[in-house]
Amino acid sequence: MKRPWLVGLGLGAALFGTVGVAVSVGSTAIGWTNVYEVLGRHLLGLETDVSPTVDRIVWQLRLPRAVLAGIVGGGLSIVGVAMQTLVRNPLAEPYILGISSGASAGASLFYLGFLPPLLSETLTMPVAAFLGGLASISLVYLVAQDGPRVSVARLLLAGVAMSALMGSLTSFITFSSPEPDKLRAVLFWLLGSLNGARWIELPIPALATGLGLICLLGLARPLDAMLVGEEPAQSLGMPVEALKKGIIVLAALVTGTLVAVSGAIGFVGLIVPHAVRLLAGVPHRRLVPLSFLSGAIFLCWADIAARTILPAQELPVGILTALCGVPFFLALLRRRNYRFG
Amino acid sequence: MVLHRSALALAVLLVVGACGTSNSDRSDTVGTDDLGRTVEIAPPIERTISLAPNLTELIYAAGAGSTLVAVTSSDDYPPAVDSLDRVSALPIDFEAVATKSPDLVLATDQINPPGDTETFEALDVPIYFFSFDSLDDVFDALRTTGSLIGTEARARDSAQALERQLSALRARTDSLSSEERPRVLVLIGDDTLYSFGAGSYIHELVEVAGGRSITASIETKAPTLSEEFVLTEKPDVIVGAWGSNYDSDRLLELHPTWDVVPAVRNGRGYGLPSNLLLRPGPRLLQGARRMAAHLHPDRFGDLDRPSVRADSPISSPSAKTTAVER
Repeated sequence: MKRPWLVGLGLGAALFGTVGVAVSVGSTAIGWTNVYEVLGRHLLGLETDVSPTVDRIVWQLRLPRAVLAGIVGGGLSIVGVAMQTLVRNPLAEPYILGISSGASAGASLFYLGFLPPLLSETLTMPVAAFLGGLASISLVYLVAQDGPRVSVARLLLAGVAMSALMGSLTSFITFSSPEPDKLRAVLFWLLGSLNGARWIELPIPALATGLGLICLLGLARPLDAMLVGEEPAQSLGMPVEALKKGIIVLAALVTGTLVAVSGAIGFVGLIVPHAVRLLAGVPHRRLVPLSFLSGAIFLCWADIAARTILPAQELPVGILTALCGVPFFLALLRRRNYRFG
Repeated sequence: MVLHRSALALAVLLVVGACGTSNSDRSDTVGTDDLGRTVEIAPPIERTISLAPNLTELIYAAGAGSTLVAVTSSDDYPPAVDSLDRVSALPIDFEAVATKSPDLVLATDQINPPGDTETFEALDVPIYFFSFDSLDDVFDALRTTGSLIGTEARARDSAQALERQLSALRARTDSLSSEERPRVLVLIGDDTLYSFGAGSYIHELVEVAGGRSITASIETKAPTLSEEFVLTEKPDVIVGAWGSNYDSDRLLELHPTWDVVPAVRNGRGYGLPSNLLLRPGPRLLQGARRMAAHLHPDRFGDLDRPSVRADSPISSPSAKTTAVER
């Protein structure tokens, strides 16, 4: 099995190159030499005489933003992998099961000040988003529970319905908000944006995504078994119900944290795992890390597009994920004989 | 047959009679609004509705405030609007507007969707749309409002008073050389960087106040600027619609990389009341004067004093004429 390693190496190199491009282009034109002088100064301690403006643009705006794009894209993709395996359905992604929309609703409630003072003082926005996502997926899960087991069809239906409900809740909150300034900020954020990423904001999402990555890698074999079916997995002695619950909490944790920093960026979690299955096969020990890399690369490019399409301006990256991803995805689907699981 | 003929004669009489009354009492006026639509109104105009706060201010400045039967839920000026009924403008509450049976509804494509005109036409409610792309558009709209509602003289006086204020300010700032004019960034939000692109009146306002707007060449009308743009353009002053009590330290809190931007480094981020910047109406000149005072505190600091600020033609309804004549 040499190919997966090649794919992995290729993706790793591509991610490196992508970050290189991401710091070199943006809404303003900066020469390549200047960009790499800045990187050389910060990474290698070289002496350079780049203007402080260029230094800030490259080191404080573009690089943390590219890193955040990688963390968010990778995190959403592995959550997508976990959700698709959990429900054994290729349609599953954080958005469809109501986690993203629940997290959006939680974050909007918090940000626009609609929570009781006691709650809003003890919570932070990531925690509010996590709780929103967890509440939403828990409700979906409870509805889907059929005796001791979880019905996949009900899970999907309840998830779609919950998404719609949380979406209206968010719209209602934003629409009835008395503060126009915050409202504008929330609208931009709801469309999904990596704007304003700073180094100090990165550790929490990085931690959440890292935790998700490690846990899912550790669970690679049980996840493979789940894909075959719950009964075979159970007969192999796996605690299937505990595994399901664990995956749901993990998905809510990662998605909630990521939604809190970047808004609801759809579509990454849906298409990236499928694209990776097409390229490298189904086993999770490959699928999870490769999805992480591909998701990171994909969102980086979508964000590069968001920063460069309109000169001097910002576009919410959530608008572009589908725009960039769908043509590629449809072409892949058409070209290969795709089988899920 | 006889019956038929007399019925016909009666019908003809009725039609002619109807035409006669229509010609004498309801001499319909036809105008072309800023969307290029033909708007028919039937004077006297006694019941008007404003669908945007700046239009309300223009109606009062045109001396037609007494015709207003409803304003939007966002209206807060002049104080007389407090006693008026409110209708929702965004989204438009067609029923509430139609129920008030207005003779004329004023709208602006800044806020109201031009597609709504069809529904208003079906409801037989005359609606007139304004566009505001320059300061002249504001003065023109003031005069048009007056002639639509029938207070031409008052509207003309108010418009002239505003134009005099504009030329008075221009006379003071015209002497500035282009090096003396700071590069100004006007923002609507301080967190998400909503701003004004090409074709906005705001650039003229900045120019009159003695500055140069750095977003005038951005093609999008309502751009969301990137932080990089601000860093590379290096504005000398940042003016925002954030209220007079704005603490400019917040800019650095929200955008830590801006410590190299001259406006932030020199503490030259200023908030102005949003209604003086974002409402293309009679109070824009107040906004321009206060901006001038911020841009050139040494030369035009006096423009920020209340005595100069209180001369808006609509600030004191009882002393309107005197205020206008000043």
